[in-house]
Amino acid sequence: MLLQTAPAQTFGYMVMGFAVIFGTLGAYLLSLWLRARNLRRDLEMLESTEAGG
Amino acid sequence: MGASPRGLKFLSWASVLMFGVASYLALVYAPREAVMGDVQRVFYFHVSAGWVGGLAFLTAAVAGVGYLLRGRRSWDQVALSSVEIGIAFTFINIVTGSIWARPIWNTWWTWDPRLVTATVMLLLYAAYLLLRQGIDDPDRRARFGAVYAIVGFLSVPLTFLSIRIFRTIHPVVIGNNDPTAQGAFDMTPRMLQAFLFSLLTFTVIYLTLLWHRTRLQRLSEHVEERKLKLLGG
Amino acid sequence: MPEPGAAPGVRGVRRARGTRAYLRAIGAIVWKDMAAEFRSRELLGAMLVFALLVVLIFNFALELDAAARATVTSGVLWVTFAFAGTLGLNRSMSVEKDRGCLDGLLLAPVDRSALFFGKAIGNLVFMLVVEAIVLPIYSLLYNVNLLLPGMLGAILLGSLGYVVVGTLLAAMAVQARTRDVLLPILLFPVILPVLVAAVKATTGFLQGLETADILPWIQLMVAFDVIFTAVAFMVFDFVVEE
Repeated sequence: MLLQTAPAQTFGYMVMGFAVIFGTLGAYLLSLWLRARNLRRDLEMLESTEAGG
Repeated sequence: MGASPRGLKFLSWASVLMFGVASYLALVYAPREAVMGDVQRVFYFHVSAGWVGGLAFLTAAVAGVGYLLRGRRSWDQVALSSVEIGIAFTFINIVTGSIWARPIWNTWWTWDPRLVTATVMLLLYAAYLLLRQGIDDPDRRARFGAVYAIVGFLSVPLTFLSIRIFRTIHPVVIGNNDPTAQGAFDMTPRMLQAFLFSLLTFTVIYLTLLWHRTRLQRLSEHVEERKLKLLGG
Repeated sequence: MPEPGAAPGVRGVRRARGTRAYLRAIGAIVWKDMAAEFRSRELLGAMLVFALLVVLIFNFALELDAAARATVTSGVLWVTFAFAGTLGLNRSMSVEKDRGCLDGLLLAPVDRSALFFGKAIGNLVFMLVVEAIVLPIYSLLYNVNLLLPGMLGAILLGSLGYVVVGTLLAAMAVQARTRDVLLPILLFPVILPVLVAAVKATTGFLQGLETADILPWIQLMVAFDVIFTAVAFMVFDFVVEE
């Protein structure tokens, strides 16, 4: 009777792969959030400048 | 840019939820593959990311056509946003493809058609951004971006075909000789469910991000205009 | 514009005159570029010297011994043509922009696509001239006969695809701030299929393979050329409008 070989030990690679996925998505979301925040600040500054002078 | 419209808020929450479920399906629910082991779980998101990369490029090309024909800024804003998101997902596709290849074929890179095409797509995306960066006039920037998105998108299937024929005629020593298979394995029903759900999830995530990024672009252009007005007079 | 009551024959004549005017416009642009180049020879000179230098560098960079040469020759040739071609494309388009010829040409009462075809044909001629000089020299240097009919056909098809896309993208690149650096970045990802097909087809003819083996590559080049000529024709207007 043939013994079935166990699946390859690739847990580390899986972690690496998912780290890339979560990391990239997270980084992109962060970039979106930061840019939106900076723009909103710029807008506030513009509006206060226009209102003031 | 005020608070997100209700539809977008709903989509955002849906995306987060679906991503959570998809991750569970990929990491826990789907069985461990008999030969490759755990690294195969990366496959669900790897393919989904590749799918989004292609979809994003298609959207950019269609938005390009729209801009050339109609001229409204919103087409251009969608195109740029789609390219940016496409870069992120294509990057994920390529890197996870490489990580998957390493334990299976003992190499970080297989010159297979899909991986090469994804890389060329990434380079096309980057070229698109560099092209826009080099042009000051907003209308010309949008027009040229549109033209390049269309030309670039049309070249992608031809690139894929050329590498495919290349591989059929030139068997590769390392890796799979069959140009169509990439780490083929039999999908059990649970795997299929995880796979289909990740495809759906990533599509929803793409649409959500596209909406957010387009709104961001609109805000950005609005702020630029007001800055110019303020400085101008 | 034909009068509403004009007989069909008259309208047919007017349309033929339109076509003739179109072809004459293309011819005029090609002739202008040829004449200018004949006088100064700066473009061809630069492309040629550059191409020969590239061949020289490859000689030392790669072990071009007889055994390796057969497989590597096509690659070396096409890399050379691709880079020399970039020089030609850039120069050809910058000249229009810098001398303000572009605006003059745009004012002419003829379809904008005539401008595209005129420039593309001009660029193709320059590229073919450079290839016509490099090929015999390479043949002499490495004692390999490169002047086979099949090869020449493959080189023509590949150059055609390269030039069609290159002319379109150069028209854009030249209007950007980063003009010199931008063209290769824009061009090479798009023409990858043509380059792959051209290299494989050229190698096939060099090694005397069966036509059946080379055919897919020829077909790919033809498909590419047709598709991108059509696309460039449709899109060129948007690239040159003010």
